[in-house]
Amino acid sequence: MLRFVDIDQAYPGKRPETERRNDFLEIYQPVETPKLTEQASRCSQCGIPFCQTGCPLQNNIPDWLMLAGTGRMREAYEASAATSTMPEICGRICPQDRLCEGSCVVEKSGHGAVTIGAVEQFITDTAWDAGWVTPIQPGVPRGQSVGVIGSGPAGLAAAERLREAGCDVTVYERADRAGGLLMYGIPGFKLDKHVVQRRLDRLAEGGVAFKLNFEIGQEASLGLLRSQHDAVLIATGVYAARQLVCPGAGDEIVQALDYLIRSNRDGLGDPKAANERLSAEGKNVIVIGGGDTAMDCVRTAVRQNARSVTCLYRRDRKNMPGSAREVRHAEEEGVVFEWLSAPLAVLSDGAEVTGVRVQRMRLGALDASGRRMPEADAGKTVDLPANMVISALGFQPEDLRKSFQVPDLNLTDWGTVESDPDSSMTSLNGVFVAGDIQRGASLVVWAIRDGLDAARSIENYLDNRLAVLGAAE
Amino acid sequence: MNQPNWSESRHRKGLELLEASGLYRPEDERDACGVGLIADMKGQPRREIVELAIHALKSVWHRGAVDADGRTGDGAGLRVGVPQDFFKAAVARTGHEPQRGDVIVGMVFLPRTDFAARERARAIIEAEILGQGFSFYGWRQTPTNTSALGTKARSTLPEIEQVLFRDPQGRDAASVAHTLYLIRRRIERRAREENLRELYICSLSPHDIIYKGLFRAEDIDSFYLDLKDERFISPFAIFHQRYSTNTFPEWRLAQPFRMLAHNGEINTIRGNTNWMKSHEIHIAETAFEDARGDVTPVIQPGASDSAALDQVFEILVRAGRNAPMTKTLLIPEAWSKRADVMPDGWSAMYEYFNSVMEPWDGPAAIAAFDGRWAIAGLDRNGLRPMRYALTSDGLLVAGSETGMAPIAPERVIERGGITPGRMIALDLEEGRFYREHEILDTLSETHPYQRWLGEVEDIEPAIGLGPEPVEFTDAERLRRQAAAGFSFEAIELVLAAMAEDGREAVGSMGDDTPLAVLSESYRPLSHFFRQTFAQVTNPPIDSLREGRVMGLKTRFRNLGNILAKGETRANVLVLDSPILTNGAYMRWREMMGGAVKEIDCLLPVGEATGDGHALGAAIDRVIEQSVHAVRDGAAHLVLTDHRSDDKHCALPMILVAGAVHSRLTHHGLRNACSLNVRSAECFDPHYAAVLIGLGATTVNPYLAFETVTANRDNPGEGHEARSRAKRLKLALDGGLLKVISKMGISIISSYRGGCNFEVLGLSRALIEAYLPGVVSRISGLGLPGLEARTVDLHRSAWRGDARLPVGGFYRQRSSGDRHAVTASSITELQQAVKHNDAAAWKRYREALAAQGAIQLRDLLDMRPLGPKLPVDSVESINGIRRRFVTPGMSLGALSPEAHGALNVAMNRIGAKSVSGEGGEDPRRYKPLPNGDNMNSAVKQIASGRFGVTAEYLSECREIEIKIAQGAKPGEGGQLPGFKVTDFIAKMRLATPGVSLISPPPHHDIYSIEDLAQLIYDLKQINPRARVGVKLVASAGVGAVAAGVAKANADIINISGSVGGTGAASLSSIKFAGGPLELGLAEAHQMLSLNGLRERITLRADGGMRSGRDIVIAAMLGAEEFGIGTASLLALGCLMVRQCHSNTCPVGICTQDDDLRLRFGGAPDYVVNLMSFLAQDVREILAGLGASDLEDVIGRTDLLDQVSRGSEALDDLDLSAIMARADATERPARSTREQRNPVAPSLDEQIIKDAAPVFARAEKMQLDYVVKNTDRAVGTRTSSEIIRVFGGAGLADDYLTLKLRGSAGQSLGAFATRGLRIELDGDANDYVGKGLSGATIVVRPFGGSREQTTGSAIIGNTCLYGATSGQLFAAGLAGQRFAVRNSGAVTVVEGCGANGCEYMTGGTAVIIGPVGDNFAAGMTGGDVFVHDPERRLDARLNTDTVVALGLTAESEARCRELIEQHARQTGSVEAQRLLTDWEIEREDFVHIRGEEVVRRETSVETSLPASMLA
Repeated sequence: MLRFVDIDQAYPGKRPETERRNDFLEIYQPVETPKLTEQASRCSQCGIPFCQTGCPLQNNIPDWLMLAGTGRMREAYEASAATSTMPEICGRICPQDRLCEGSCVVEKSGHGAVTIGAVEQFITDTAWDAGWVTPIQPGVPRGQSVGVIGSGPAGLAAAERLREAGCDVTVYERADRAGGLLMYGIPGFKLDKHVVQRRLDRLAEGGVAFKLNFEIGQEASLGLLRSQHDAVLIATGVYAARQLVCPGAGDEIVQALDYLIRSNRDGLGDPKAANERLSAEGKNVIVIGGGDTAMDCVRTAVRQNARSVTCLYRRDRKNMPGSAREVRHAEEEGVVFEWLSAPLAVLSDGAEVTGVRVQRMRLGALDASGRRMPEADAGKTVDLPANMVISALGFQPEDLRKSFQVPDLNLTDWGTVESDPDSSMTSLNGVFVAGDIQRGASLVVWAIRDGLDAARSIENYLDNRLAVLGAAE
Repeated sequence: MNQPNWSESRHRKGLELLEASGLYRPEDERDACGVGLIADMKGQPRREIVELAIHALKSVWHRGAVDADGRTGDGAGLRVGVPQDFFKAAVARTGHEPQRGDVIVGMVFLPRTDFAARERARAIIEAEILGQGFSFYGWRQTPTNTSALGTKARSTLPEIEQVLFRDPQGRDAASVAHTLYLIRRRIERRAREENLRELYICSLSPHDIIYKGLFRAEDIDSFYLDLKDERFISPFAIFHQRYSTNTFPEWRLAQPFRMLAHNGEINTIRGNTNWMKSHEIHIAETAFEDARGDVTPVIQPGASDSAALDQVFEILVRAGRNAPMTKTLLIPEAWSKRADVMPDGWSAMYEYFNSVMEPWDGPAAIAAFDGRWAIAGLDRNGLRPMRYALTSDGLLVAGSETGMAPIAPERVIERGGITPGRMIALDLEEGRFYREHEILDTLSETHPYQRWLGEVEDIEPAIGLGPEPVEFTDAERLRRQAAAGFSFEAIELVLAAMAEDGREAVGSMGDDTPLAVLSESYRPLSHFFRQTFAQVTNPPIDSLREGRVMGLKTRFRNLGNILAKGETRANVLVLDSPILTNGAYMRWREMMGGAVKEIDCLLPVGEATGDGHALGAAIDRVIEQSVHAVRDGAAHLVLTDHRSDDKHCALPMILVAGAVHSRLTHHGLRNACSLNVRSAECFDPHYAAVLIGLGATTVNPYLAFETVTANRDNPGEGHEARSRAKRLKLALDGGLLKVISKMGISIISSYRGGCNFEVLGLSRALIEAYLPGVVSRISGLGLPGLEARTVDLHRSAWRGDARLPVGGFYRQRSSGDRHAVTASSITELQQAVKHNDAAAWKRYREALAAQGAIQLRDLLDMRPLGPKLPVDSVESINGIRRRFVTPGMSLGALSPEAHGALNVAMNRIGAKSVSGEGGEDPRRYKPLPNGDNMNSAVKQIASGRFGVTAEYLSECREIEIKIAQGAKPGEGGQLPGFKVTDFIAKMRLATPGVSLISPPPHHDIYSIEDLAQLIYDLKQINPRARVGVKLVASAGVGAVAAGVAKANADIINISGSVGGTGAASLSSIKFAGGPLELGLAEAHQMLSLNGLRERITLRADGGMRSGRDIVIAAMLGAEEFGIGTASLLALGCLMVRQCHSNTCPVGICTQDDDLRLRFGGAPDYVVNLMSFLAQDVREILAGLGASDLEDVIGRTDLLDQVSRGSEALDDLDLSAIMARADATERPARSTREQRNPVAPSLDEQIIKDAAPVFARAEKMQLDYVVKNTDRAVGTRTSSEIIRVFGGAGLADDYLTLKLRGSAGQSLGAFATRGLRIELDGDANDYVGKGLSGATIVVRPFGGSREQTTGSAIIGNTCLYGATSGQLFAAGLAGQRFAVRNSGAVTVVEGCGANGCEYMTGGTAVIIGPVGDNFAAGMTGGDVFVHDPERRLDARLNTDTVVALGLTAESEARCRELIEQHARQTGSVEAQRLLTDWEIEREDFVHIRGEEVVRRETSVETSLPASMLA
């Protein structure tokens, strides 16, 4: 260990962009164990694990780096699995440069971060390959059941822990496949669907029941669910797209999520869509937004053989919310970034979109969060041609009070479900909340964290309930 | 200093207050001294003997101390024979006619003011004496002159009387002595019973009388007027000058005692005292059958260590062993690892003795007389000096210094120094002198020890080696690990390191987790025990380099009665160490068969309700079963928790083992059995040490062994498993040695049962019930909390999936224990200091405030002393910042950039940085062109003396003597070779790439008077600098601080145990030393109580990170504040804790060039940090209504305890630290502007006489007669040379001092180039210490009749830390010659033990015998030893050196130096060697550092051929 002094940082090799552009396979090349071990051994084994502090799951990163770095891969897997229900997925899609690797002491001191994400992914991929990933061992049956609404990362994480604790767990998913954004939101070149599927299969084999195509408010009310289960967890995620507001922005604007879901369905082999509206093939595509969803869209468009792909973002590169690494990938793959550019109007010839009028911006004073506010650079506009405009401005909560038909479910001003900060319990007794619908649109890793926290709270709640029932007898 | 206000009653009241509140314990007091013996070989009384002894006392005044009142000495005394003519005349004056037969005189201290008590005391004494058939002459008031006394001594002066009587029955002297002993013991018992505290019998013996008291040594005969009488004659005299840390003057504590006078300290006193409780039962039965009750307890309550030693010595003598035998039994030479350097008979004798008694261990020079035999001897380490001279007319003079008793050189026929562990003896009856080997031969021939040893069986071969069975399945083991509190971290960081490397893992920085009692996590009971360690009053031992004197040999029981002479039936089984591997345990268990009784130490979990009753009952059951088992004849008890399961959890084995041990001791049964502990929880050396310290015979950490042998990669019982077990055992053994060596204890049997720990955070009730006699100062966790925590841990381990927690005790983890320094607080602090961002600083403060209680101070809050003040009216930031110090971090540990940045920053704000010990670049002595000053204001002098030259010591405002370091008190350090770059090597005068060792002790500080001497030396070499002493908090630090203050220090720095380090064993970082709050408060209180507070500046450091920390420390007594870790954080430290790896990613704690480039710190950041802290202090002060920091210093009354810790505790009581010792008008802080002065030296005259040198740079020669009281001759002169002529000094031999006589200690210490000292005569310890370029030549007294060769000429520890210069001495040097020499050249004609230890440079030629353990830890330089008798092989410590033959080149060098020696000293031996050179050269051995040789050869072979050609 401590080899950062003589081993340089090396991320896994990427496939050449010419190759990448033509398929939806993951972009990294497989890593050989010795190389990976070597990278893990660069860890400084710090007294204060800044990496752990930077990790929403508070993974014991130095410990499994040490184990991986000394070739004890199976123990590394066990250590990694102890705090995360899907380390190989985090390893693939976490913006590590803003989390663990960005906090890494070796990075802060200028030696280049330990490639934590790559190691994390490798450890658990290896475990799957080697058969170390065992089926879930349900705990002693407690005779209590939990209904989990939503099968995204928060719901899955909670379901796994609750099942291990001996609960009967049913996951309700309104889509035809489980996995939420993991399945339909994130493109395959970042997260191969087989990686998600094996996690879903493991849960199912471990006794977690999945009810697909089951939308609360339609198939059953929340009230019914509450009566069927001892506790309910709401983990629906946030799906309402934030709308682009400018002249010309109407139905012809493609919503990012619609676009990505369609693409993923294609990849999963579902029947093709009837019209080409959601395909970028042969089109000049403009994606508006600077977050990770925007990056997913531009890179998907490239792979769909768009004629050109441009990303509009109103701040500059330094101030964008998405992962810098994703931007690099996109640029490599041919995406053009128009920094400091905000859409002024969507141009159309009446039937088809023809382009976007862009207002050039400049960065002004700091706002409350310390970011510089973009302001219009007066008089500088330009028209960019486009056949397809995708809006990727982020997501907002749907109105659950309405859709779930529960007027006494308290929501926050932002529309998320209000909950007790310690227990994650909502205003309804026995109903808990986790993930984006609790904290607003955020990262997968935060959703996992929330799911784990909620599972712990639910377990406590169920313990107390047992005790109360026991006392009543 | 005059103290008209001092009054005994007030003092006693203060003392009682402190004792009651818990910070003061009388047993913490320490003393040390000068000691000696003068005797006529034929036993003829002479007046000269008395006069010489008085003169000697007057010549060792500097080894004692004087109280704040200036006249009250710490005690001095004289033991002499009873001059019959003198006392017969005295009897006649009482009106009696002296009868036939000797007058017997008892010297008695009686109550002075309480007349009734005095009469009662007299009545008791008379009754007891008459009751044994003596007839009474009467009482004689001893003539005294009280004007010779100081205030304190006078106010505690007893009535001093002599009781005169005779024996009409004419019994022989031995039986009279025996009877008088019993009489005295009975009187003592009755005095205790009747509470006659002031009745004390100095002496009651037919042979001798003791005059002692609290005067200065030089005043003895002006106080006791008898001594001036010409008729006062004696065949012997034992004298003693005491230097005590003591706080309450007591006449009775003065020495000599009835048998001996002791200079030094008994480190093992607690263990010895405990074991004596078992031994004395047998002793009393055997030798004092009728008077059993009178002689026990042998060691009387409240006795000092020396008094306790005397009492045991005395009873052994009274029981029939003579003084030489008793000394050998109690204070044996180290033997177990040195069989090859000692005759079989001796080692058999030592081994036999070892089987009957635990050695009394610690620095000791003793002089004893038993009525027939007079002896002078040393402890195994030879830690005190003892020199002797024999005269042609049959006088033996032995004592701490040569020259103390003036004997004309012409009379002397032999001079010597006593070897460690040995003695010289005089049989006054037979009139024979026994040299060291003669007395040992005689003793060892007295009995057939080798035959008797047949009963001692070494079972190591039978059980030590063999298979290591694995008992549990993986799953079961995992559960047990979880139930025993193991974590991933513990296994990977602690256990794995031991199993792989055979030694403990090393860590760095300090401990920032909460004290065990404040932690919410489960903590093993061992965490509540803090290792104690030796500082100042006694030295720690170097367990690595001086392991030859140490041992872990463990016997399962004693060889019966100490007094038994002859074979016994009891089999004594001996093992190499008290740690048993699992295989060894099984084999031992089988071998012992039915003699073993296993006792399960389990708590049925179902019974536990959280109130502690179940736990208490379970422990009581174990105690009962143990007592019964031993009464029923079990020879070996095994306390075990290995049968724990889901329904039964393990009892806290530490508590159980301690409780069983103390209960067995109480019943007198402990000696009858061994006490063996099998504990799952024990996995580190600290835990094992606690078990043994509480009385366990052996420890089998079975789960730890399972864990390392059965790991997943190599399960089973194969070869690898065995060797892992072996390495774990090796590491645990090494750890144990380290733990005991910290206390200065050599032998595990003397450590066992001594509880050398400070208990921190266990409830008083719990301790009282199970560990009686142990002190727990702040109370804390009791049975209920312990039960709840134990059961919780058990339940969580046995419930659900077995899973180990990840840990977080050593390195932070989010799921683990809290740490004070966190990622967020570092981020905020760095943001704040880098950008001078007050908002970030506020967030930093909030982060600290949010972390909950970590240190004791977090439980305190401050009370205002008045209405709030505006911040601007409070003392300025400048004033407050001046009180800040960055504690010693050496150049070598730190990169030059980081070290320099700290210096510049602290100098910019008028504060101080401490250099640490690694030298300083002379280029830094001049400020930079921009005015920044990179020179540390405080220069540290530590045990390695790296780069400590006269110039270094001159270039500072303050010198800090680092006695101990918070992170690893009692230990030395090591700078690994990879950190020793060319630059670092140059600074430290060492070889690049070769590891550097700092020893655990300063080899010139084995005792408090040695510290006084070093302070004296330093105040000579720098006549302006103040001298500070850095101590680490621990119970008893108050007494040490008082002693240090008396040694004329100016500053005392108390460090908390949480301070940082560049590298130390994890268990040292975590478990040694005590919290700052306790240590600081104790030091402040004791200094105040003793009227010493005003002359000392108190400084505190250890984990101080906020203004709040600083103000609380001020209230506890600190005036200056060390801020270490926080200042490193300001420079960019991210607490990677890899300082020891040289891989500091931010370039602070590394010497790697690439990494140093990453250093991004700047002095500004440190300045900002100090300013923020100072501003916080101002704001707090304003809030408290204090306008100046001085207003709150020492104001413990302003502190309130606002939290008593967690609900689970019985209580947590900090009242001890809030007591105010002396709440008078006197300020509780230093008031002295100048440094404390020291006695003038001969150099004041020399400097006057040498005016032409300094004024006109003229060459001069000056002549002086010197005495042993002329100390540090040449040192002050050297300082003047540097001041006038600069660091390089003058040309060689510019100023020559010709001296004649016996020079005092530290002759030529730090003497610089240009000075030449020629001494005709001899010299005491520390000749050429820190030699910096001068030449010192020592020749024997001209015209003396002694043989030149073979006589001691210079004392111990000469050339310690010498950096350049030359020393030629035509005679023997004492122990520890040329230790840590890094550049001086020397020739001597033999040296004592541990010669050339840790040497890193220079050249030593030794043309005579060398002592044991030669060249231990030496890594550089050249040593040539003339070894015609081939004795070097056994004595050379080859761990780091190689012995080579002479090459042409080295021969030339060696010969050249011998020629020079001959020229300079006229040495006969040198002449002889040169004459026969062709033959003698064959007998020379050239010793060099192995690493250096290896590097040289590898460099040569790797050189390209072109360069070789």
